[in-house]
Amino acid sequence: MVKYSVVGHSVPQIDANEKARGVAEFVSDLQFPGMLYGKILRSPHPHARILHIDPSKARRLKGVKAVVTADDTPKIPFGPRTEDWNIFAVEKVRFIGDEVAGVAAVDEDAAEEALDLIRVEYEELPSVFDPIKAMQPGAVLIHDKERNIVSEFKLNKGDVDRAFQECDVVHSERYYTNQVYQAYLEPMACVAHFEPTGKLTLYLATQIPSMTRITYAKALGLPLEKIRVVVPYYGGAFGAKMETNLHLAAAVLSQKTGKPIRMVNSREEDFIAGNPRVPMYIDLTVGARKDGTLVGKEVKIIGGSGARAIYSMAIVATACYRVDSLYRFQHLRTEGLTVYTNTVPTSCFRGFGNAQMTFALESSLDMIAGDLNMDPAELRIRNGLKTGEVSIHGWQIGSSGLEECVRKAVEASGWEEKRREKRFARGVGLACCNHVSGNRAFSREFDGGAGIVRIGREGKVLVYHGESDMGQGQRTVFAQIVAEELGVTLDRIEVAPVDTDISPFGLGSFATRGTVFGGNGVKAAAQDAKRQILEVAAEVFETIPSELEARGGKIYVKDEPERNLSFEKVAEICLLRRGGSPVVGTGFWAPDTVLPDPVTKYGNVAPAYPFACQIAEVEVDTETGHVNVIHYTAAHDVGRAINPQTTEGQIHGGVTQGIGWALMEDMVVEKGKVLNPDFRDYVIPGPLDIPPIKSILVEPVDPNGPFGAKGIGEPALNPSPAAVANAIYHAIGVRFTELPITPEKILKALKKK
Amino acid sequence: MKYPLELNVNGELFELEIPANRTLLDVLRNELGLKGTKEGCGAGECGACTVLLDDEPVNSCLVLALQADGRRITTIEGLSGAGKLHPLQEAFIHHGAIQCGFCTPGMILSTKVLLDRHPNPTEREIREGLVGNLCRCTGYQKIVEAVSSLVKRKDC
Repeated sequence: MVKYSVVGHSVPQIDANEKARGVAEFVSDLQFPGMLYGKILRSPHPHARILHIDPSKARRLKGVKAVVTADDTPKIPFGPRTEDWNIFAVEKVRFIGDEVAGVAAVDEDAAEEALDLIRVEYEELPSVFDPIKAMQPGAVLIHDKERNIVSEFKLNKGDVDRAFQECDVVHSERYYTNQVYQAYLEPMACVAHFEPTGKLTLYLATQIPSMTRITYAKALGLPLEKIRVVVPYYGGAFGAKMETNLHLAAAVLSQKTGKPIRMVNSREEDFIAGNPRVPMYIDLTVGARKDGTLVGKEVKIIGGSGARAIYSMAIVATACYRVDSLYRFQHLRTEGLTVYTNTVPTSCFRGFGNAQMTFALESSLDMIAGDLNMDPAELRIRNGLKTGEVSIHGWQIGSSGLEECVRKAVEASGWEEKRREKRFARGVGLACCNHVSGNRAFSREFDGGAGIVRIGREGKVLVYHGESDMGQGQRTVFAQIVAEELGVTLDRIEVAPVDTDISPFGLGSFATRGTVFGGNGVKAAAQDAKRQILEVAAEVFETIPSELEARGGKIYVKDEPERNLSFEKVAEICLLRRGGSPVVGTGFWAPDTVLPDPVTKYGNVAPAYPFACQIAEVEVDTETGHVNVIHYTAAHDVGRAINPQTTEGQIHGGVTQGIGWALMEDMVVEKGKVLNPDFRDYVIPGPLDIPPIKSILVEPVDPNGPFGAKGIGEPALNPSPAAVANAIYHAIGVRFTELPITPEKILKALKKK
Repeated sequence: MKYPLELNVNGELFELEIPANRTLLDVLRNELGLKGTKEGCGAGECGACTVLLDDEPVNSCLVLALQADGRRITTIEGLSGAGKLHPLQEAFIHHGAIQCGFCTPGMILSTKVLLDRHPNPTEREIREGLVGNLCRCTGYQKIVEAVSSLVKRKDC
């Protein structure tokens, strides 16, 4: 493997010092002169007609500066995919938590008091909460969509019925993956400031700064370039922090008052009006031959989008077909329905539908391996796509470390021995996954990443990108890539917060794309900056740029290393010789991914595909039903780890969320009301719930990734619920097909057994 | 109605007048501008607002500011003196124990109490010592590694 001086080395996150000292300013910490505090009045009903809103009493309360409703907005229906959003409810409310009105006041207490004074008359309407019921004829319509169906995904390849007839094992199962909450530590937050010039600056905790800007321009009826989005530090996201009405409510209140408005969800609001995971019913049939060859897959998915579609239809589509590029299925029949309900709108959460489907498929494969009396690890290796293969949907697997992941996880976990020598109520379970690094099917308009690298007079390098660091360490990875390209040390690099006035357009941080797209973008920008540096240095050395090299913070004449200049000296010469212009390198990377064919879904959607294998070991307390995860091994094909330490950090976090989902987490919704909107009743894993996780980095070096890197965000979680469920089956012989697998369910099942 | 309040925060004395219903968290953040103390839930469940009250870790969202009258408070800003990081901060940085960083101030303060009281905790004891602080990014592993690196004798 090539040796790099910065890339491939574990370094602390470049902003860890500020965070450790408590001086990093998060969105909810921002303060501006004259700033007001905003709050939202939310619907108490799951479905109701708004007859009348009387804000007059609230407006008269001391300290209140504005009360706004839909009448204060352009009432332009909008949404990232379907136009079923309004900033504040127009005519109807569709879930408990729906935004009805907004208040701005001098402090949060006054704003909250004002909420109680807004009089809203509702006429309650029938509601429907389960997507299967919502599709029944006669069910109340939430939007004007027939049978409440937002969208339908259909895909047929080969001849599934015949294939199943010729299979030795055909396994059918219904799975249910529940609604879970991302539970980032900083609730959704923003500051909006309509300046007197008519320009709106939005300080947002968002994964998709450039894309929110487009959506918000439409919603507010503003020209795109009248809106500036800035992304300060923010406290985690895991898929949830994309578009949200919170940001728009703040914008409307700022427009009304002319003041900066800060809005932060309470934790309860974040639960009831955030973007939890799309719950899915998954009917899955898988057929295999005696030798373990997987032949056919039939799946029908019904996903609940809640009261707005957001990205749920893309998430259901992903659940429908992404795993087809993990194994070599030849015959497929797929149907996915995304259905409105009167519940909180659901959307992206680490895994984007692939996590839901991976739970189902990897559980079914465990059963098939059992039926065939075959090692589940061997079953995966036999069917897993390898480097250079093209999947049934045209995905070009530039690198696949799947087999290596399985083999290394098996070895590190003691899999074979533990499967062989079964101990009472102890078990090991294995699951694999694939994912994308970037997803053309999602980004649609274009695919790519861009960067700007600015080098100051004393050689300080400032990097601009358009993605979003929610804590995963993206800035650090970009800094490492730029440092490597420029041949300088990491301490010279600073990564600017995203600011749409300056930063390049970026699709953002989703689809495990940041490292590959943003990384390649800043790499191209660094190459451009380096070209300029070398041109000027070549003038000084009276040679040509190709005779020079940049390394160790210096520019050398290749064959005469005694002739060299320090990087900062060259930076200064550049500036002095070029009329004061700093070196500004710009660059982009646009891979030749394609939009999938609308009917066949054929087309290479991503430049790189990560893979993984995880093995969980559990101990089940047969008296209490408690599952203790005692060992965990996670082997991940990451192409190349730009920063092994942050890559491992992603794996630990993803696995932990996956274990939480498998065993503990569940949004309990009754008649549209979330009954556990707090961390006391919605329990996420604490330090005692998670064993030390053995992470293994598999590095096949991808041809398209920057320095061979692929992403890690989502695959870190995808296989975990199935690995845990399979381990529980191995431990106690009970198969669980619904998440989460709680002690109650385990005791009930053990009793039945 | 406002009440007089005297707080000793990170060794500095503050004299304030505040309404009775203000929490210590609110006063630290909004009166004193100490934004290192974070609000994650407002209900004492996540630990992001942990500060030390006379060396005792508390959820500052559950403490009324007036209850802290005349008492000694340490926030994350008080941990690194004279531009020098506390060894715990160094350890968190170098072990990759910080991702988004929102839980970090509270986590570090809880860890400080843990190590002040039990300089040689086992891995299990470290995890037990941090049950009051939630982190959604790290899976706690690198946090535990950071704390372990400061444990004096590993054989305990």
